[in-house]
Amino acid sequence: MKSTIHVRGIAAVMLLLLAACAKPPTEQIDTAEKAVKDAQQSGATAYTPQDYAKLEGMLANAKKEVADQDAKFTLLRDYGKAEQLAASTKAEAERVKAEAEKKKEEAKTAALQTLQVAQEAVKATQELVAKAPVGKDRAALEAIKADAEGLTKSLGEVQAAIDGGDYLAAQAKAKAIHEKSQAVSTEIQNALAKISAAKGKHSQPKKGK
Amino acid sequence: MGLALPISRLLTLITVLTLTSLSGCVQTIPEDLVEALESLDRDLVAERAAEFAPDEYTRFARQWVALKARVQADEDLIRWPWEPNRLETDLRHLHEEGTRTALEVAHRKDSQRLTAEERLNRVEQRLQAMNTKIVEIDGRLVLGHKPVETELLVKQARSFFDQGQFARALNSADHAAQLLGAQRATLNSELGRYADQDRINAWRAMARRTIQWSRAHHASAIIVSKADRILTLYKNGRKVLSYPVRLGYNGIREKRYQGDGATPEGQYHITHKRGEGHTQFYRALVLDYPNANDRRRFKLARKAGRIPLERNIGGQIEIHGVENELMGQTLGCIMLDNPEMEKLFALVEMGTPITIVGALHSQNAVALALADIGDQEEET
Repeated sequence: MKSTIHVRGIAAVMLLLLAACAKPPTEQIDTAEKAVKDAQQSGATAYTPQDYAKLEGMLANAKKEVADQDAKFTLLRDYGKAEQLAASTKAEAERVKAEAEKKKEEAKTAALQTLQVAQEAVKATQELVAKAPVGKDRAALEAIKADAEGLTKSLGEVQAAIDGGDYLAAQAKAKAIHEKSQAVSTEIQNALAKISAAKGKHSQPKKGK
Repeated sequence: MGLALPISRLLTLITVLTLTSLSGCVQTIPEDLVEALESLDRDLVAERAAEFAPDEYTRFARQWVALKARVQADEDLIRWPWEPNRLETDLRHLHEEGTRTALEVAHRKDSQRLTAEERLNRVEQRLQAMNTKIVEIDGRLVLGHKPVETELLVKQARSFFDQGQFARALNSADHAAQLLGAQRATLNSELGRYADQDRINAWRAMARRTIQWSRAHHASAIIVSKADRILTLYKNGRKVLSYPVRLGYNGIREKRYQGDGATPEGQYHITHKRGEGHTQFYRALVLDYPNANDRRRFKLARKAGRIPLERNIGGQIEIHGVENELMGQTLGCIMLDNPEMEKLFALVEMGTPITIVGALHSQNAVALALADIGDQEEET
């Protein structure tokens, strides 16, 4: 009678031990999921979209493995593979996050450099506008002034795009400003050359109107 | 003993048969299939599948990750002979799906490229055509910053297109098209009176009264049409001469205040004749701007807040000659070439009426330019 109780007790303990060993890796899956989310928030969907798609696949795979084991009879469950998958998903998520952050930083640096070039070009244009004499082809000069003001205003939009993290748009706009600024400067230089050729021969028009 | 040997042989035979049978069940995944999938994935990455077909690529990537794990785990490799190799079947299905995704990516990419290219070309053409029309009617200053903002957006769209960022190119091109629409609205609001039949009729009536006055008083009278940039001299109600003129640098607009570069519209008279040596512009006919109507309009506009408080009404509006050949426009006066100014100067006197109108017919240059700009917008 006593030995029967012993056997039953041992069997119960073994079952409990087995059940305890086959615990689903909830924490590891949660950690992996958080790492994937971090990667997404770091800009992986924009900067490393293919890597991010695979990362989602890895996470889904790990979760599926847990679900497959959950569906098995308690004593046959083995979450070892699920743990491995969760760990590799986390590691890959960290790599993707680092890669996305690197690419994002590169894009930011490129956008800031392009902005600086555009700022210098607009400054040079404004200096030329200030040198341009009033009178003569006044309509053209007034139009150039309006363009220079528009270019200055647009520099603010580039900064806003950088602040908003849209570095691609910032770079494209800054590049456009640079090009247009150079075209305006060339226009002013041509006008100045034309005017200086006639300088000394004629006086300025009177004020009023 | 005699029986032991056959049993031993039989056992050996069974073992050999079992091993042979089992080795026959070990199924390998064709390496070329895995390589083909890897190559397909590389192609999809290179073609930016996640951008052009995000749902399809995500589905493919998820399955590929799962299958790769199965391939690496070797779990599916040992099967009973009657069992199908599910891993190989799944890989083949994924390859088919991946190929379909690649085709879909190529199709969508091409479609986006074509749409963006078409829209971008159209907006570039529209921008160019609008700029040409604006230059023709000297309407650039009416638009302030708008032209440069629009041009920047078009350049931005082209830059995105060149980088293969078709969705962004399309977005910028559409935004630029909206800005062109806003430019058109500004032009209509500022210059729409040139296309307004009631306004044109009122200008025609002003011109008619001036010609009738010339006939009735057997005297000279001048009519200037701003849209056509033409000055016409009448004597005894009959046209004597017609000369092209240049206006203020913002001459196409209605004059509002000093320094706006606009040429006034209204009925004026010559108050002074300045001969050679008395003006910097060869010869000049001084007008009585601002007259009572101009003062009334100015006061009303200032009261309504349309004119800044620090601005004055201005003055010294003249019909004059050219100071130098480089001067394309005036600050608001009407300018003639010197030989023509000399002839005109000789044919008019103090008190000669001068009527300045926007336009005398509905098919004037400004109205036609506005209509053309409107047609371009409708076409796009």
